[in-house]
Amino acid sequence: MKTDMPLSKPIRLFIANTEEILNTEISLLRQPEADPGGTLVDEYTYDIDHNIIIFPAQYIGLLKDFVIAKHCTHLLIKGAAAKKAKYLVCSYNEESMYRGMRQIYLDALKDEAKKENRLPVQKLIQMLFILFSQFNDDVNELPWNAIINASVYHRMPKIRKTQLYHVMKESKNDMDEMMEQESIVPRRYFVLDKAMFYARDMFLAKTLPADELMPVINIPQMKKFNHLEVKEMLTTRWTQTAWYQSKVFGDQMLDIMEKPLGPVVWTEPPSLDYFYNLYKVGVLMTDNLLTYMTMRDWFVWEEPKHLLAAHEKKEEYEKNALTRIFGDLISDAWEDQA
Amino acid sequence: MPQKEVIELLKKGRTLAKRTKFKDALAHFEKAITLDPKYPEGWYLRASVFADTGQYKEALENCDKAISLDQNYADAWTKKSMVLYNMERFEEALMASTRASSLNGNDATAWYIRGVCLDELDRSDEAQVAYGKSLELEIILDMEAEQKRMRQQ
Repeated sequence: MKTDMPLSKPIRLFIANTEEILNTEISLLRQPEADPGGTLVDEYTYDIDHNIIIFPAQYIGLLKDFVIAKHCTHLLIKGAAAKKAKYLVCSYNEESMYRGMRQIYLDALKDEAKKENRLPVQKLIQMLFILFSQFNDDVNELPWNAIINASVYHRMPKIRKTQLYHVMKESKNDMDEMMEQESIVPRRYFVLDKAMFYARDMFLAKTLPADELMPVINIPQMKKFNHLEVKEMLTTRWTQTAWYQSKVFGDQMLDIMEKPLGPVVWTEPPSLDYFYNLYKVGVLMTDNLLTYMTMRDWFVWEEPKHLLAAHEKKEEYEKNALTRIFGDLISDAWEDQA
Repeated sequence: MPQKEVIELLKKGRTLAKRTKFKDALAHFEKAITLDPKYPEGWYLRASVFADTGQYKEALENCDKAISLDQNYADAWTKKSMVLYNMERFEEALMASTRASSLNGNDATAWYIRGVCLDELDRSDEAQVAYGKSLELEIILDMEAEQKRMRQQ
């Protein structure tokens, strides 16, 4: 481990344990503009020889420790998969993107037919790819987020209050996501996306039930949650907002998530086998969620470099998908733009 | 009251240190110390550069010098506690962080170091209290950073 910053004892030991299990090295990096949830730059995803956990400069104590715990757990899952078999992610190719964008287009047409103020064609076209990408990001993040949070909660009792703060904050940010696009996104996808986060939150609410948000009640913004359990906090948030309709789908998704997560023994001694098993649980959960949302053929399980290459080619894929969906009409539009 | 030139040198040095140009920063701090050796901030900032570059013995000496000039210099006590923690002198680090947090109760780092040291000394219950206070302060900092980010967007 390369760092001279102070770390709480359980985190220091966890990093050392992670490095030992994976036979690798982890560096910690503080950056003023880092993502609030931190970032993991790892050797299983990128072509580098060690791993870096980056976190915001204002995280000096336990907030930093939680971000490290979270990313170390993710690293263990990725590393175990890479060492025991293959680490795969939900990627896409030209054909799968076409299938996804076409499906979104057909659903959008149904929505548009019912609308008084129809979406301008150009916006509708742009939305297809944006929405496809959004779901790709979310399915690659959300199931792992649930697994990692549950694992950290059971393995690191000393940072539970910090975790609660992160969960509450993350939940709020995820709820607010796509807000600006609400009027243009087909209802089905808006609800499905929110439902995924609802299910994640409800799973975490069940997993993290015993702690109250004390001692952070001295912070005015958090006072409204005083003495509420996590479950109460998250349920209140979801049921008193416009996303209430996500609950119907969200409850189904919660059921889908709980099935593979139910048998997991979270306190088993950490080992490659154990974290590989968590990886398999995450893959199964992702597959089941994709099936429920009828998106199985939108994505392909591939190595991370495939996804990175797909991102590089995404504009080309998008253009070809749009040509296949709209035919000559879209080619004319591009020529007009040029 | 330090000379204007000293203040300017320290300001420039601090900016250089932020950009990890430690050698240049050190040169500025050393000049400021030469001009006004009784001004504790010069010693404290020099200690910070030594700490950031892993020269803990020198960092500690500079912290002690700053503290000898101003016994109530909270930041110097916090820096000293961090340096001692890195030298694995946990008992002494605990004393320094306790002093820092009593001088400035809103210093999240001082509370955190206190928690970390208590944890290392197997005084877990006391560590939890210190961690709790540190978290409370850190969340306030985080919320402020979040608001700033939202204003910029």
